[in-house]
Amino acid sequence: MATESENLEGLVNRRYEHGFVTDIETESLPPGLDENVVRAISARKNEPEWLLEWRLQAYRQWLEMKEPEWAHLHYPKIEYDQISYYAAPKSDEDRPKSLDEVDPKLLETYDKLGIPLHERARLAGVAVDAVFDSVSVATTFKDKLADAGVIFCSFSEAVIEHPELVKQYLGSVVPRRDNYFAALNSAVFSDGSFVYIPKGVRCPMELSTYFRINAANTGQFERTLIVADEGSYVSYLEGCTAPMRDENQLHAAIVELVALDDAEIKYSTVQNWYPGDENGVGGIYNFVTKRGDCRGRNSKISWTQVETGSAITWKYPSCLLRGENSVGEFYSVAVTNNRQQADTGTKMIHIGRNTRSTIVSKGISAGKAQQSYRGLVRVMPQAAGARNHTQCDSLLIGKDCGAHTFPYMEIKHPSAKIEHEATTSKISADQLFYCRQRGISEEDAVNMIVNGFCKEVFKELPMEFAVEAQALLNVSLEGAVG
Amino acid sequence: MLEIKNLKSRIGDSEILRGLSLSVNAGEVHAIMGPNGSGKSTLAQVVAGHEDYEVTGGSVTFKGQDLLELEPEERARNGIFLGFQYPVEIPGVNNAYLLKAALNAKRKHHGLDEIDAFEFLKLAKEKMATLGMDPKFLNRGVNEGFSGGEKKRNEILQMAMLEPELAILDETDSGLDIDALKAVAQGVNSLRGPERAIILVTHYQRLLDYIEPDFVHVLSQGQIIKSGDKTLAHELEEKGYDWVREAATG
Amino acid sequence: MTRQSQEELREIVGRLPTTRDEDWKYTDLSRARDITSRWLDAGAETVAADIDEEIERISGSIDATWFVIANGELRLPDAASGISAERLDDVPAAASALAELNSALLVDGLRVRIDGAPDKPVGLLFIDGAADAATSQARVEIEFAAGASGEVVEYHASQGAQDHYSNTIVAITVGDNANAAHLRIQSRDLRHVQTTHTTVNTGRDARFRSAGFDLGGGLVRNDLVIGISSPGAEISFDGLYLAGEGQHIDNHTRVDHRVGPATSRQEYRGILNGRCRCVWNGKAIVHTGADGTDADQANHNLLLSERAEIDAKPELEIYTDDVKCSHGTTVGQLDETSLFYLRTRGLDRQHAKQVLTHAFAAGLVSRVPVESARNIVSELVEARLRDIIHSDEDFS
Repeated sequence: MATESENLEGLVNRRYEHGFVTDIETESLPPGLDENVVRAISARKNEPEWLLEWRLQAYRQWLEMKEPEWAHLHYPKIEYDQISYYAAPKSDEDRPKSLDEVDPKLLETYDKLGIPLHERARLAGVAVDAVFDSVSVATTFKDKLADAGVIFCSFSEAVIEHPELVKQYLGSVVPRRDNYFAALNSAVFSDGSFVYIPKGVRCPMELSTYFRINAANTGQFERTLIVADEGSYVSYLEGCTAPMRDENQLHAAIVELVALDDAEIKYSTVQNWYPGDENGVGGIYNFVTKRGDCRGRNSKISWTQVETGSAITWKYPSCLLRGENSVGEFYSVAVTNNRQQADTGTKMIHIGRNTRSTIVSKGISAGKAQQSYRGLVRVMPQAAGARNHTQCDSLLIGKDCGAHTFPYMEIKHPSAKIEHEATTSKISADQLFYCRQRGISEEDAVNMIVNGFCKEVFKELPMEFAVEAQALLNVSLEGAVG
Repeated sequence: MLEIKNLKSRIGDSEILRGLSLSVNAGEVHAIMGPNGSGKSTLAQVVAGHEDYEVTGGSVTFKGQDLLELEPEERARNGIFLGFQYPVEIPGVNNAYLLKAALNAKRKHHGLDEIDAFEFLKLAKEKMATLGMDPKFLNRGVNEGFSGGEKKRNEILQMAMLEPELAILDETDSGLDIDALKAVAQGVNSLRGPERAIILVTHYQRLLDYIEPDFVHVLSQGQIIKSGDKTLAHELEEKGYDWVREAATG
Repeated sequence: MTRQSQEELREIVGRLPTTRDEDWKYTDLSRARDITSRWLDAGAETVAADIDEEIERISGSIDATWFVIANGELRLPDAASGISAERLDDVPAAASALAELNSALLVDGLRVRIDGAPDKPVGLLFIDGAADAATSQARVEIEFAAGASGEVVEYHASQGAQDHYSNTIVAITVGDNANAAHLRIQSRDLRHVQTTHTTVNTGRDARFRSAGFDLGGGLVRNDLVIGISSPGAEISFDGLYLAGEGQHIDNHTRVDHRVGPATSRQEYRGILNGRCRCVWNGKAIVHTGADGTDADQANHNLLLSERAEIDAKPELEIYTDDVKCSHGTTVGQLDETSLFYLRTRGLDRQHAKQVLTHAFAAGLVSRVPVESARNIVSELVEARLRDIIHSDEDFS
């Protein structure tokens, strides 16, 4: 444990030994968190007074809260005063000059995932003008969105350009003091995405952070807000199948989605951050609060996630089904290998009449990993006609891993129809032998069976994403068998 | 082609094969018959390389190579096909995908290019037509929700696609109605050829009415106790297994 | 009568679980604390009401060798064959505040050993009836000797218009190759509070079959904790809870698979009508090395009222890969088509509901592991169903 925590400190302490510097335009803040740090972050972003006040209140609330301990996770204590809460974008001098300077293991993974060469440089943070391709793509992309009236920009930009929208919706789904990590994020969030889809507009393309190049190096305390106005539709892709170069140990993001009458938001995530090495050294700690508010009648929010990365995952994308006939969906594949730990699931809160929810969770645990599904289906007394179907399956690979399920069902209306099924099993020796008898190697057979196990979720992903996600799964499970 | 000498094998604590010898040449069709528990399926599983069966003695060579040293997938790529008595279901994995992966694994092993999707589909559809299978089968999960007959036809389809040099069909006739049996037999017969050997493991003589064997062997208590030509099968049908057992011991 | 001082006792009462404890999230023991405190205030004396008639009636309904624990005091049967029994004079260290309370206030404990195959079930009648608000404790240890084959019936009942809280601990060990059948019938007064904690430990190739029927009680919490520490165990248990106006019934089960192979199967069903709340929390833990474990949990609920609430939580914790575990939970209503069908055949709506709810419970009744008690269970279930359906507010 000692080495792990030293390692954690080592990571969070990086490059900040120069102390506090006045020029916040270009430099990072020293480690530690107090009101001055919150003010400095806000000032650096030229934020209006109300937002600074909002952050400060969050900070004060955070001080009074305790880090949750109920999750089935074990990790060294996070030293919050050892973290630097604002890091300026890296200067080109700090970046690798070419792919030759990049960790060969990372390059190997890109190769296996079939990432195009020029993309590899961008993902690995190489200081070359490989990003030009993306810039031109992004420009045409922005024009097309502007024509449709869609707002898609960084969170900081939205605060300046669309303060009325941000003010109206910020924190309206995930209140500042919702939980410890949400309060922390609310105080110090760095940047993120803002999306507004006007009434009746079907967003002409899938939105992806991938194209939003100005979001570089904002991952640590990211904040995303998506508002789909009446009758609109948007599909949003978060992340990228390639592992991003990322040196922040602690991630505490917030995603808020609001769907008004007849609106639909489809939110897909591929999370593939550094999971630590085989011995559990290093890796990202990922504490995320994601929540969608089906505020309007007939609205729909659908979460699809493929999670293969991070050393620690604490994540429960949820839906508040307020509007009559609103629909919430959660499709998840979570893979943990080596010493990864994940405590993940969803909450479906049925408030409006005739609300429906579907949960499909596929967990794969290998090596010495521990994975938990934690879910809540709550049917409030006024939610007549609520329906939920939950399917929650775990696949175990190897003797030393664990798979756990903790589903809560709280049903307070007699017309609710709730069905919950869960299974846990290992890959059957018969299935493996059958595939091998057909000439398929053991590793390929495992990949094939695992992909089959996850099929219900993959089919919810946008096409190209699904193909990449499958490749990613195979890479993540490397060495799990044999 | 296949040379089994004094093969002994057990699963857990129970000895199943107790010194079995069998020689199969290219172009031949052998039928292995015997009562339940005589070791027929064990023989098939051992040749295919199932890890639950421990080989405690004897040798198996295939095309002059020591087979027992090879992993199951290496045996398969070298040309051994096992038609399973109980083909396993693999939920979510589509039939076409498995077939293509198997075919390409073999092609790669033999230094050939991977087959492209178009060519593969054409080939699969041809083979399916001859077996009287609906092309929709390709898009279903491997054996997922298949009837007994559908599973067995699917085994034969895989065999037809992979074109093995040695096919071992373990109780392929069990649970089949007469139409399915004919289709399966036709599939097997179409694969007969001078460069290919087939071993039929069966409990009943019925299948042998449709696939005529060159040799018939009777297995009892882990050994071949009698061998003969196809007339032996008829004799067995009439007189039962006890007859051979008595003849062998008495 | 108590071994500890009033202060010590109050300190224990103060440590009884609250809804802030994850395991007690849905069940509030304030009433138990309140009754116990009042009883302590009043000098911790229990004035027994006349319950002999009720004892006669219950013990007459099932042919068994009855041990009666009335207001915490033990009455031994006249004769028993294949059974040895003794009063408990030692109580193991308490693992929870409830167990501490039990140890501190226990009047009579009982130890029963079953050898061979007794011709009658062992009956344990836990009955309370007091003139004033009171708290009572019971503790029974049951041992099925190696190779024994026996049956145990627990019957929990109470009478009286005053508040009552009873806290019972049952510890069962099932020896190697023993075959144990266990039935628990709980039919307490609808005002009364009960907590029971049952542990079961099984030996090699042991078989344990159990069923619990919660038909009464105002606030009921049952914990059933099963430990498998030797291979070959075959565990199967059912539970039925029928809750009407004002009732709160909480069943928590936990099965620890420490070694394999072993199978455990559980099925709980609930029918809820009126303002009531039921909780089912089933936990199966497959520990490292418990290879060859097969664990299955099922929980099905019928919600018949606007004001009924069910909280269900099927948990699996699995630390090895050679396992087959599953759980299924449903919450729903009576099928309208079936109701309509029965009404077209001339049954009124109430009657049709009774028929269908009865059918929902029938599977568990037919599996009652103590055969000689099956009929009485069936009658009790039917009577209770009539009561709770009758109080129907008919929302649909």
